[in-house]
Amino acid sequence: MTGDPMAQHAAANPDDAMSVAARAAFVLAPLGLFVLVAWVLATKTLPFDLAWPWIPSLGIEFRFRIDGLAALMLLMITGIGTAVFVYAGGYLAGDPNQRRLFWMLVLFMVAMVGCVTADDLFVLFLFWEATSLTSFMLVGYSHARAESRKAAQQALLVTGTGGLALLAGFIVLAQATGTTRISDIVEIVPTLGETPALATALGLILVGAFTKSAQFPFHFWLPNAMAAPTPVSAYLHSATMVKLGVFLLARLDPAFGEWPLWEWTLKIVGSVTAAWGMVLALRERDLKRILAWSTVATLGTLVMLVGLRGEGAAIAVGALLLAHGLYKAPLFFVAGNIDHGTGTRVIDRLGGLRRQMPWTAAAALLAGASMAGMPLSFGYIVKDVILEAKTAVDVFTFAKAANTVFGSIAVAVAGVAAIRVFWLHPGVNEACDAHECGPSLIGPPLILALLGITLGLFPFYVEDLIAMAGVAMIPGTEVPVIGLSLAAGPVLGSLAVTLAVGVGIYLLWDPLHQRFERIAARTGRIGMASQYERSLTGIPAFAAAVTRRVQDGRLPSYVGLVAASAAVAIVVAIGQLVASGAAAWAAIAWPGLGFAGAAALVIAGALVAPFVRDRVVLLLAVGLVGFGSALLFVFAGAPDVAWTQFTVETVFVIVVAAVLLGLKRLGRGASVAEPRFRPLALGVSVVLGAAVAALLMLATAGPFDATLPEWFGRTSVPEAYGRNVVNVILVDFRALDTLGEIAVVLLSLLAALPLVGALRRRRASAGDVR
Amino acid sequence: MIATIALVVFVTVTVGVYLTLSRDLFRVVLGVAMVGSAANLVLFAAGRLGPTAPAVVPVGQAALADAANPLPQALVLTAIVIGFALVCFALVLMLRLIRDARTDDALALRDAEPVPTDPVKPPATDPAFEPIAGAEPRREAAR
Repeated sequence: MTGDPMAQHAAANPDDAMSVAARAAFVLAPLGLFVLVAWVLATKTLPFDLAWPWIPSLGIEFRFRIDGLAALMLLMITGIGTAVFVYAGGYLAGDPNQRRLFWMLVLFMVAMVGCVTADDLFVLFLFWEATSLTSFMLVGYSHARAESRKAAQQALLVTGTGGLALLAGFIVLAQATGTTRISDIVEIVPTLGETPALATALGLILVGAFTKSAQFPFHFWLPNAMAAPTPVSAYLHSATMVKLGVFLLARLDPAFGEWPLWEWTLKIVGSVTAAWGMVLALRERDLKRILAWSTVATLGTLVMLVGLRGEGAAIAVGALLLAHGLYKAPLFFVAGNIDHGTGTRVIDRLGGLRRQMPWTAAAALLAGASMAGMPLSFGYIVKDVILEAKTAVDVFTFAKAANTVFGSIAVAVAGVAAIRVFWLHPGVNEACDAHECGPSLIGPPLILALLGITLGLFPFYVEDLIAMAGVAMIPGTEVPVIGLSLAAGPVLGSLAVTLAVGVGIYLLWDPLHQRFERIAARTGRIGMASQYERSLTGIPAFAAAVTRRVQDGRLPSYVGLVAASAAVAIVVAIGQLVASGAAAWAAIAWPGLGFAGAAALVIAGALVAPFVRDRVVLLLAVGLVGFGSALLFVFAGAPDVAWTQFTVETVFVIVVAAVLLGLKRLGRGASVAEPRFRPLALGVSVVLGAAVAALLMLATAGPFDATLPEWFGRTSVPEAYGRNVVNVILVDFRALDTLGEIAVVLLSLLAALPLVGALRRRRASAGDVR
Repeated sequence: MIATIALVVFVTVTVGVYLTLSRDLFRVVLGVAMVGSAANLVLFAAGRLGPTAPAVVPVGQAALADAANPLPQALVLTAIVIGFALVCFALVLMLRLIRDARTDDALALRDAEPVPTDPVKPPATDPAFEPIAGAEPRREAAR
């Protein structure tokens, strides 16, 4: 594992590099937003609504709402965003593509802001997809590396697939509730009961949220996304984007919270993800990937907390969201600094860095203390809150066990990131030229980590904010007065347990690692990551097989497919009409003698056609159908139509006779030999024929709107001075249509002429040879 | 009357589609023609078969009364002519195709099919769809 080439290639092309002023200008974007959010929070009462019309016909509006949960997310997006922007300025200083990175980060931030404030399902989905797309661009930032491109593709495919499921879920949810406004939906859904439509919507939305938040079994993409530059990892894959799934679940918690399906799915998936993520962290040697797996575990814990009932759990979600952002982002920065200073992130080659990188070591220690839940840190208080949430409700033992695993391995990971590489193993450090980084790389982690400690000492600063976030998940209740306090309660006992286990894991890190490597080598083949690889090659193969079946190169298959599809469409439409009870069939009455005779002619011609081998007889049979229908027009009061049909049919027979002559010259006078009875073809044609006939019977039995015929009949003489209404329609009222018709005939003539000409030339040259 | 038309439509659509599902190119084109006349009948009958007097305003009157519906007649008139143009073009196209491909068997027209070495989409191997005897699978380079 080598360092980020972008960082090493710094100043490769100084002309393209950004100046300090330009970088500072970009930092103003999140900083300005942060100030704006703080101002809104200080001056407005929450929830604060904004709306612009967008698609009024579908009832979709650009509707935004800032409540406690959105406010918490906004402060994290813009606050940690500011730190990330400062850090990115220093981390990629001199990189020719830095400008692009900054623009993508700005776009991403806007998408995130839109996503957490959206109060309309489809507005939320729009921004949700925007975060997926910008995430793709940011993960694939080092596009010259295959690893990076693959990771970007994987992140996009996994979250994009989830996004599609989410869209489907949103559509079902919007149809079931009759509104797209989220704040209305969370009030309507509990009154509807557990309908199948809502259960479908719930399942699809869960898939979307789980892919975004890297929940089991979609957890594998997050560590691979560590191919992104460190500031991107800290921002997207720790502090903000991956929390969107949790955010969405928290948003919909008031709607589905009482469902056992919701509660148990979240509890089980969250617990499994938390435990499994922590176990997989042990497999890694790359500091960044270790942090990524611990992020997966934290996300699992968050999902589980959303699934728990009660006020305490809701407050714990808000507190853990904030605490995780405040300790994980600095730890990512620390990993980036180590990469920057030594050129590697593999923990085996790192040790005793505190001498070369004292400031980074200090930041790591502070953030690590918060992650491990040490007293006097914000992490400690969160631990307290989570513990209260769990004792407040009846938590099943699996969740408890997962929490212990989570807590102790968090201690172990914090130990690796904050202690091992800085304080222990002196001498294993291969990069002897390790050096401390500049202020823009030290400042952000140090400030964020210090903030984590400060909030640990003075938790009442964020008390109200977290309480409001909790209220957003449980509407209808007053803002509870929560006491985020330093009081040493039962948490000390549980802290001692997790600390002891965590230190044990930390000390046994290397042997455990080897053990897990061996197990993983065996489970790797059935793991989700290899299933993903298999589907990448399987999908094109499946598509080719389907294409081979559907497009088999046989004309009858294509025609049959079209005819069968048409038949199915008509039959389904008729079936729906009949099922609804609105269907009425036309009365069956005996026709007049002339009409019946004409019909008999047509039927006789049609029935003969499929049985004849001789092409001339076939032509006569088809001609009989044409002439017969002309007779039908005569007896139905349409002499003009009948006249046209007679003329056209005569010309048609002459043309076909000429073509038959040509075919005879080519030696193709007889039909192609094929079975006379083709059951599949007959089945398709009978169904389609019956469907069309039934459609006609249904359509003519319905009420008839005679406005147009009456209008034409009334205005024909006074306005167009013509008594033959059909002709008046053709040449006067709808003259442009007739012009179009003539154009079609001329065009087909123009298209046929070269073909006929080529036939003549061929014949002439063939004659010369003979 | 509607029931009679429906019966006629049933028979002509069924036979027409059956013809288009044939492997004989000539039958396919004539099948298209037959489906076309059935479609005209449907369009015509959808405008209701009421009075059978032609839609002509008698001299001395200003408005049409108690006559056939003129609107579907105008539409069908247009459709007949366009259908005729379509079938004529199809006939010429077919003649040219038969001459160039030297076959009138739809199953033998495989120029657009993937080559046997195509790694993704090999051609169909079903022996039932091999070109019949006498039809040449490919035309040689003409001219």
